[in-house]
Amino acid sequence: MAQAQKEFSIIGKRTPRIDAYERVTGQAQYTGDIQLPAMLYARVLRSTVPHAKIVSIDTSKAEKLPGVKAVIHYENAKVPWSSGGHTHQRFIFNNPVRYVGDPVAAVAATDRHIAEDALKLIEVKYEKIPHVLDPNEALKPDAPKIAPNGNLSVGKGAFSAPIEESWGDLETGFKEADRVFEDTYISKHVNNAQLERRVSIAKWDAGKLTVFASTQGVSNARTDIAKDFGLPLSKVRIVCKYMGGGFGNKNQAQDYDYMAVVLAKVTAQPVKLEFTREDDYIGMHGRWSSEQHYKIGVKNDGTITAVSLDAVTNMGAYRKQSGNLSGTDFYNIPNFKKVIKPVHTNTVVAANYRAPAYPQSVFGFASFLDQIAFELGVNPLDMFTRNRAQKAKGKLDFTSNYLEQCILEGSKRIAWSEKWHKPGAAAGPNKHGIGMALGGYPFRPGLGAATVRINPDGTAHVLVGVTDIGTGAKSTMALIASEALGIPLNQIQLTNGDTDVTPYSVGESGSRTTAFTGPAVVAAAEDVRKQIFALAAPKLKSKAEDLDLRDGQVFRKSDPAEKISLGQIVKDSGDLIGRATTNPNFPKEMDGKSFSAHFAEVEVDTWTGHVRITRYVAAHDSGTILNRLAAESQIKGGVVQGIGMAFSEELLIDRVTGIPINPNYRDAKVPTHLEAPEVEVIFVEHFDPYGVFGGKVVGEPPITAAVATIANAIFNATGKRFKELPITPDKIVRAVQV
Amino acid sequence: MADDRKGMKLSRRSFLKGIGGGALGGAALSTGLIQSEPAQAYSPETSGAARGKTPVTLKVNGKTYRVEVEHRNTLAEVLRDELGLTGTKIGCDRGECGACTVIINGRNMYSCSQLAVWMEGKDILTVEGLAKGDKLDPIQEAFIEHDGPQCGFCTSGQIMSGKALLLKNAKPTEAQARRGLSGNLCRCGNYNREVAAVLAAAKTL
Repeated sequence: MAQAQKEFSIIGKRTPRIDAYERVTGQAQYTGDIQLPAMLYARVLRSTVPHAKIVSIDTSKAEKLPGVKAVIHYENAKVPWSSGGHTHQRFIFNNPVRYVGDPVAAVAATDRHIAEDALKLIEVKYEKIPHVLDPNEALKPDAPKIAPNGNLSVGKGAFSAPIEESWGDLETGFKEADRVFEDTYISKHVNNAQLERRVSIAKWDAGKLTVFASTQGVSNARTDIAKDFGLPLSKVRIVCKYMGGGFGNKNQAQDYDYMAVVLAKVTAQPVKLEFTREDDYIGMHGRWSSEQHYKIGVKNDGTITAVSLDAVTNMGAYRKQSGNLSGTDFYNIPNFKKVIKPVHTNTVVAANYRAPAYPQSVFGFASFLDQIAFELGVNPLDMFTRNRAQKAKGKLDFTSNYLEQCILEGSKRIAWSEKWHKPGAAAGPNKHGIGMALGGYPFRPGLGAATVRINPDGTAHVLVGVTDIGTGAKSTMALIASEALGIPLNQIQLTNGDTDVTPYSVGESGSRTTAFTGPAVVAAAEDVRKQIFALAAPKLKSKAEDLDLRDGQVFRKSDPAEKISLGQIVKDSGDLIGRATTNPNFPKEMDGKSFSAHFAEVEVDTWTGHVRITRYVAAHDSGTILNRLAAESQIKGGVVQGIGMAFSEELLIDRVTGIPINPNYRDAKVPTHLEAPEVEVIFVEHFDPYGVFGGKVVGEPPITAAVATIANAIFNATGKRFKELPITPDKIVRAVQV
Repeated sequence: MADDRKGMKLSRRSFLKGIGGGALGGAALSTGLIQSEPAQAYSPETSGAARGKTPVTLKVNGKTYRVEVEHRNTLAEVLRDELGLTGTKIGCDRGECGACTVIINGRNMYSCSQLAVWMEGKDILTVEGLAKGDKLDPIQEAFIEHDGPQCGFCTSGQIMSGKALLLKNAKPTEAQARRGLSGNLCRCGNYNREVAAVLAAAKTL
């Protein structure tokens, strides 16, 4: 896949999204906008207790309510949900229930309100089981057992526990250190909170199942559903054309898709299952909270000699994802060991949320490094520059690494050397502060597929399995096709997100769409260009190898004036079809990452505890930027999500009843227009030899450093270190007034 | 709401609304009688559907629609499910996120928090009503140009709040634009872009 850098015709420009028109006119059809004839509406009943055996469930009253068509629950719909849990078999309805929010039943009715009314008529008798909400309590030997193997979440392979990683030798590293520091940092459960509530529409036609899903990945959603319902892949069609955000909690197929499938089967009618906002907060998952205990050895100049991390991550009642913490990735650590225990509690499930293992972990590690810099009397800029990642895992080369340039350009833009002062030094109640942190996200290419069709008029049709969750994936694929084909963007039609029509795509998670599907689009374009040149060669009295295609014109490389329009060449050829399945990679002894350095200035009102971000600079190394406009938006947005996590967001669980207290936007305090600063984006742009057109990853990096950057700026303003998220006004007031 | 009523003749419906919603208002409307029954405890069997539907005339994007709705149906639901105007999104259905924002009598309002039966005689503008034929409204053009939509789910609401602001104040400052949009959440965090788009649209007015 290694390619030489070249001049691009459309890559790297500021290009509005190809579907922006549909989105600003209200014509974009999201899953919930789809109406099918005779469609029923479904709602979910959830457990009101954190841990209990269901003794009986009486649905007779609900079934008698006019308009109710079906009620399903653990007794009549025992459907496994394989990707829902990795320590033991999870079903779409479980008995016992293991958290407040665990699905107990689902109702399909002729109207959504009737379905809601019916939920209230279902009588569930619970026999309570002792529960545990705190992950440290859960690890004690006498704690109530949530998973059959206990509360340390031991699954297979990627879901094993504890998660351990090490290199070098800790003992030697700590011996080499002049100083050794130890401390603990805590992050909380926050929800992805995407605007589009979960919704799924299922229908069966003569044994063929179609699910209009709100999923980040149609291919993996199809795999999940086919597996758990025992269907061949050919009998399952997943469609997702427009998607209203997910940030990691709509990947694959989820239990609500399965419930819609079952309800559609038993009623023989299409079923639309909709979540309420509260369902969305408690019924799926958010980011795992963590308690991170660090021991860090440093030289007097700040150079890290060893890091040991012992942590507990709270995965809630089921293990859907890793529970890892990877915030140390952006530093040069010669001797390292981490032991992370993903733990079950009787709380809302935690799994993927944008850069799953990073922002909470970067918060802990970069806050602590900032603190150590303070204790050593080292400027944080020197501390971060000195310890920035130069090799992965202490030894591997990166495919490209411009982290140092990110630090240089970002710190220059924010005028670090003039603005930085001793922590808490400012007089008066309003204190200025400045802070920074490093971030990024792994980059690795992989399996993708694409089809490119050239219509007889010379326009092109690109078919890719990607969904577009807001990243601009559809536009990126069209841009790549335009660049690779030599056909203007406005002559390219793109069809995405339909497993009956579009080829495999990895799914929009792990910032992988461009790196996985992009190379396939390039290869499919090359495939069809060969066919075009074979047709054009006799017409241009030239060898196919001497032909090129640009701006929809085929011409001789040796004599560009000799040209014919593509439409002329293909007009009698039916459709030309180029296709490719690609699986590029780079050598095992290499590592890929996008990098970032973030900088913030804040003003802390020490009387009210209110923090205003007065300036924010985000410098990113993501390789070549394929679409500057959309990429900048991604960076800006990731920072805003980080602001929410830093200042206000936390899913609160009542300590006695286990009931989530604030499962809604207002009380979970998602940032609004008023909290969002202007985010200045710098791209330190360099071609990565393994990226498609030199690009690495963009979607997840921007959230990773944001939380720590803000926390460090607050430290610089107040001289107080906040070791627990979120950093709310009350915590600030209490700290500064002591 | 007080502003809306100024200068309007007092219809039976707005009178009923004035005396209270909930069980009493609902029961009275569905039977056409005003009864002074005590409000009853909520019972799923007798709520909503059992009480039947009420005809209501909606004026949306300059067109008049006659629809039959349950009293519990919100304007957002009726726009989407009955009129097929699905550009108006429902993000929270509880008046927090603003995805359902439409313009009612010149003001941006959450259509999830307005009952359809309250809408008789009101002028409703949704995102579908902004363009004049093929010509987009300047705010829509600006949202395209400034990358206003990421996932796009909040976009209609952002645009309608921006439009309502520009109707009142053709030259907003940046701070006024932020405040004007502050009832519209964007979890993609695209706030810079949305404000920039509103300010750019203002320049073309």
